Amino acid sequence: MAKTSDQSKKGAHGHEGEHQHPPAPMVDEVSDFEVLEMAVRELAIEKGLFTAEDHRRWTEYVHSLGPLPAARLVAKAWLDPELKKLAVKDGVKASLKVGVDWINSPPTNFGTPSDYCNLRILEDTPTLKHVVVCTLCSCYPRPILGQSPEWYRTPAYRRRLVRWPRQVLSEFGLQLPPEVEIRVADSNQKTRYMVLPVRPAGTEGWTEEQLAEIVTRDCMIGVAVPKPGVTSNVKMPVHRAVHPIEHHS
Amino acid sequence: MATLGKDDLAPIDLLEGIRRRGRAWEDLIVQYGVKNPDPPWKVTLDATCDILAAESCAAEGQVDDPVLPVLERRAEEDELSSGTYEGVPFPERQLLALAHSLIRRGLIDEKELALRMKQVHERLTSA
Repeated sequence: MAKTSDQSKKGAHGHEGEHQHPPAPMVDEVSDFEVLEMAVRELAIEKGLFTAEDHRRWTEYVHSLGPLPAARLVAKAWLDPELKKLAVKDGVKASLKVGVDWINSPPTNFGTPSDYCNLRILEDTPTLKHVVVCTLCSCYPRPILGQSPEWYRTPAYRRRLVRWPRQVLSEFGLQLPPEVEIRVADSNQKTRYMVLPVRPAGTEGWTEEQLAEIVTRDCMIGVAVPKPGVTSNVKMPVHRAVHPIEHHS
Repeated sequence: MATLGKDDLAPIDLLEGIRRRGRAWEDLIVQYGVKNPDPPWKVTLDATCDILAAESCAAEGQVDDPVLPVLERRAEEDELSSGTYEGVPFPERQLLALAHSLIRRGLIDEKELALRMKQVHERLTSA
């Protein structure tokens, strides 16, 4: 039986006697889904829908994506008022400060088509809260924020956020007082958004690294606010939309 | 936005079998005590979806129509996720929806896919 390794733990393995800790657990089973993914990919290559080499490059690119650059950009902007101004004025340019090049990024060297090519960074204030959605599909600032979470893709979130933002945010555990205005930014194929949240109290004197740790993915989508001691995202159950979005051709 | 018709959203025998008997990652990680929240094949699935949507030759100045535009794929995934593949966890339902879209467009043949799955399974379990 072939084994699917837990890739997050790969590298913990060593030769016998090399490490004292036990090997990371592995899924000792080939699932139908694993087989389906591979079979679809192989047939697509054979039929010329894409090449194996192109797929390898895209896989490397997808694998490189994560939320850390965005968290670092927020932390830097909190510490540097000039960078904050730049971030709000030109998100694409500010992204360069954390090594993200929206214009010349791999694998196409003009930005991935679905990420092309404008980032707007929305600055929260004590009386203004931004939150991001894509009502059409699931557009997301992947080059700087990584892959979108499952709930972000669902019609339930996409449909309900634009209608009842305050209530949806409260479902994420974010209770905002009535005097705080909420603005929902609807992404599209050309423009992506991320939120620059308010730096929380209790972080005075923190380093960039310390600050980046509390800037979670959810904070930059806008469904959470940074808090000292909170470094993980909320786990949201996914519900079916009662009145799904109708797609018209 | 979806270019598939209502009839195209009906179950496909091969994929229906996978939906019924396939073991999702969320079950496997509990059984095997694995911590990785995503299956290892998710990154290659995402790459496949991206590349099918890409005007991937544009960098060389040859703009082609995407094989499966992202808006069409996502619209079909939404429709299928609330119907045929309702209850299937993510990203397994993303994978089923992609295979469904490719088969219904005639880009991949159901019988060919069944045969290739058999071959892949034999390969992966032969060691």
